[in-house]
Amino acid sequence: MTTETLSPTRERSRTSNRLRAMMTQENLITFVVAIIVAGAVIVPLAVLFVSSFKVLDPLGWDTAWGFGNYVEMFTDRIIPKAFINTLIISSGSTVLATFLGVSLAWINARTNCPGRDYLEPYNLIPFFLSPFVGAIAWHNLGEPQTGLLNNLARDVLGIEGAIMNIDNIWGVIWVTGIFFAPLVYLFVVGSLRRMDPSLEDSARTTGAGLVRTTMTVTLPLVMPGILSGAIIVFVTSAGEFGVPFKLSAPYGWETLTTQIFSKAVGDDANHYLGAAMSMALGIITVFLIWVQQRYIAPRSFTTVTGKGFRPNVLDLGPWKWVAFGYNLTFIAVAVVLPIVCLIIVSLHPVWTGKIVWADLTTINYVKTLFWWRPEAISAATNGIGNSLILAFGGASIAMVMALVISYMIHRTKGFGVRMLDFLSVVPIGFPGIVLAMGVLVTYIQTPIYATLWILMLAYITRFFPYGQRNISSIMLAISEELDQSSRMAGASWFTTLWRITIPLLKPGLFAGWILLFIIFLRELSISIILFTTGTETLSVGVYYLTNFENEPLTAALSMAQTVLLLIAIYAFRRFAGREALTA
Amino acid sequence: MAVDTSGAYLQVDNLVKYFGDDKAVDGISFGIPKGAFLTLLGPSGCGKTTTLMSIAGLHTIDGGRIRVGETIFTSPKEGLFLPPEKRDIGMVFQSYAIWPHMTVAQNVAYPLEIRNWDQSDIDDRVAEVLELVGLTDWADSLATNLSGGQQQRASLARAIVSKPSLLLFDEPLSNLDLKLREQMRVELKRIQNEVGITSIYVTHDQSEALVMSDEIIVMSKGKIEQRGGPVEIYSKPVNEYVSNFIGIANLMKGKVVEVSEPGIGKFEVTQDGQTVQLPCRLTAGIAAGEDAVLSVRPENVHAVPEGGGGVLTGECIHAIFLGSYVDCRVKWGDFEWKVISHPRNHPRTGEKVHLRFDAEHTLAVQP
Repeated sequence: MTTETLSPTRERSRTSNRLRAMMTQENLITFVVAIIVAGAVIVPLAVLFVSSFKVLDPLGWDTAWGFGNYVEMFTDRIIPKAFINTLIISSGSTVLATFLGVSLAWINARTNCPGRDYLEPYNLIPFFLSPFVGAIAWHNLGEPQTGLLNNLARDVLGIEGAIMNIDNIWGVIWVTGIFFAPLVYLFVVGSLRRMDPSLEDSARTTGAGLVRTTMTVTLPLVMPGILSGAIIVFVTSAGEFGVPFKLSAPYGWETLTTQIFSKAVGDDANHYLGAAMSMALGIITVFLIWVQQRYIAPRSFTTVTGKGFRPNVLDLGPWKWVAFGYNLTFIAVAVVLPIVCLIIVSLHPVWTGKIVWADLTTINYVKTLFWWRPEAISAATNGIGNSLILAFGGASIAMVMALVISYMIHRTKGFGVRMLDFLSVVPIGFPGIVLAMGVLVTYIQTPIYATLWILMLAYITRFFPYGQRNISSIMLAISEELDQSSRMAGASWFTTLWRITIPLLKPGLFAGWILLFIIFLRELSISIILFTTGTETLSVGVYYLTNFENEPLTAALSMAQTVLLLIAIYAFRRFAGREALTA
Repeated sequence: MAVDTSGAYLQVDNLVKYFGDDKAVDGISFGIPKGAFLTLLGPSGCGKTTTLMSIAGLHTIDGGRIRVGETIFTSPKEGLFLPPEKRDIGMVFQSYAIWPHMTVAQNVAYPLEIRNWDQSDIDDRVAEVLELVGLTDWADSLATNLSGGQQQRASLARAIVSKPSLLLFDEPLSNLDLKLREQMRVELKRIQNEVGITSIYVTHDQSEALVMSDEIIVMSKGKIEQRGGPVEIYSKPVNEYVSNFIGIANLMKGKVVEVSEPGIGKFEVTQDGQTVQLPCRLTAGIAAGEDAVLSVRPENVHAVPEGGGGVLTGECIHAIFLGSYVDCRVKWGDFEWKVISHPRNHPRTGEKVHLRFDAEHTLAVQP
């Protein structure tokens, strides 16, 4: 009798014991983060997928289910051309960026090019700046009538007509190729530097010359890195919005991203068709990233022998000055020229293509930055504040998330870890504009729409993997026993995280934070879909000015953004290693 | 569920741990008295480290129960799991796990800070422990500036500083070079004696186990093969596995042909047409007529002259002079006897050799 009455209570206490055993700080926090990440990543993509099968009737009153949007992508007057333009631009900029990136990396890592220790940081600068601003600068340099270079050619060299026209599909390839060259550079330079020099030496001893050795030994050895870099450039170019929006779309070369943009906010807005186009773009990029992650990235270490720190580089002889000149030219064209051009344009009341010393003014900076002045343009002045809030807040939240996710992936064996590992790769596969389309269709009817929160949500979802990789690479290098010994010393999970794990991860946390800060400060393709009046970001301000105001005002705000980014880059160089970038 | 009736201080009952579908620990039980030094010995993958991690609470377990003193550490059936930080254990890790962002003194003070000691008490205790491990002069250096042996001492200091109820060692000497390892064995044992904390030591190094332990548990494939003192494990292995793993043994399959009194009998081996019956000790549980394995240490096989009591005759195929002894191989049929001889009187290569065995040190063990 007694046993019968007792047993249910014992059962219950066992169950509650078990529950209490599972309710540790560790499990609770990781569970909450897993839910948040899954919600943030999966929901918008799922809603995007579903929305792409909703077909809007011609009057825009009602929707029906069907494949109509996908059919329209082939039958539309513009979209198929946009598709082809995207492929041409991505291919072209991949070729250009790969050529520039590999040649510069080779010069810096494998040759005795003078000053190579000092050149590298400058080679990487375009990686951190906004390609959209680059396009604006190049428009002011290479536009046939008002382009500074064309006018200089006419005035100084006496050439008739224009030496270049940047406002076309080739201009887009030129600007994106230059801006994404550092991506390839970063993928290749590490393995070139760590490569065992005896591999090259032994080729030389067989009688192969310098060129032949480089082509048949050096470059094939780093081919996985080159391919990885090329794929990333292709995907990033396909998702790039600002450059084609500025340089080719107004002149009849639409791309997928500019079309998605016009379906999201334009006069002919059709979110469902936009969703279908986003799906098409997303499928291509996800597939390529999958190939890169699955097949190419894992091979990239096999070329490295681990030793070979012998500072043995190729002696180029007198050619080293050619290499030096080549590298200086890259920096001049990619960094100096655009910035100088922006400064010149920004100091003119109107830009006619010629420097008018008498007219120089700072009024454009007043109008775009000094929000308290009556002549301030609010769409521009809102940008700095909003972008700084998003960059500080977003980078901080994203790094906390990245920390917890990395911890889960590398330090716990529990349930959900594989899913998290997967979830933290997925966003890399989707261009910002695709994810933003998903976020738009998901949250348009909720209170967070038209606030900064929706922007922050999309920023973090898209870019937290970059922070997560920064932390993971360090976490993999430090022994798990360092955490465990703290637990054994009597510290709780949270105390261990606070006193042991985080201090050890500090370099990675800091590098990741600044990297995200920089990315968020220049972000355009997500912001352009999700902003509303009052939540303009810096890049949206630039977009507004270039669309509705004039070039000098645009140049002024572009310069303000560039200066902020250069300061952040300096901090990044100062406090974080080069390794942090290769994530 | 096995009932915990022993008066042991640490009691492990029916411990089971899976990794995926692999049973890393397969229902082992043992208890040790307070203050004892127990070694879990076995090759990698035998479950010894898993057992240690289960006691530490760095793993959850799938079955069984672990108790220390009056506290149940874990018992999945009852839904009990005490987090590692509540178990009051000191642990020395294989990689030392000295935190590189703290000084030696800060590393050692950490467990006391967690326990909210007064700063002055912490300073006194840290100084005392650093003195014990011989690191007083290194208190303020960063942990990364220490040598391997010093990091090991710091790690030990951190493990014992809070006078925990249990001390766990996870292959602490395996990263040190041979000479340092031998020195640290003695040192570790001295310090453990001095602080008197019940200790469990995991290693794959048999000589480490023999030197340091009060008791040894030999493990293989998640199970306990034998438990006993160092001398017992070495001189009376219960099966072929233990004979082979601890020290060197001549192992040969054969049959027990006679049991004259409990634990004593005769063992018959056949090689190349020759059949020999050797008087031997029997491991408990082996009856007459059963297949068993003969286990004889090389130092208990004696090369003797004709008429010196040798029971079988073979040919010496090599004899290597190693200073204090000569390592010989004597070929008998297809079998090679490992024989240790005295340098002043040993067989030469190519000679006929007669082998004599002591009944006391000739064992019939479980296959």
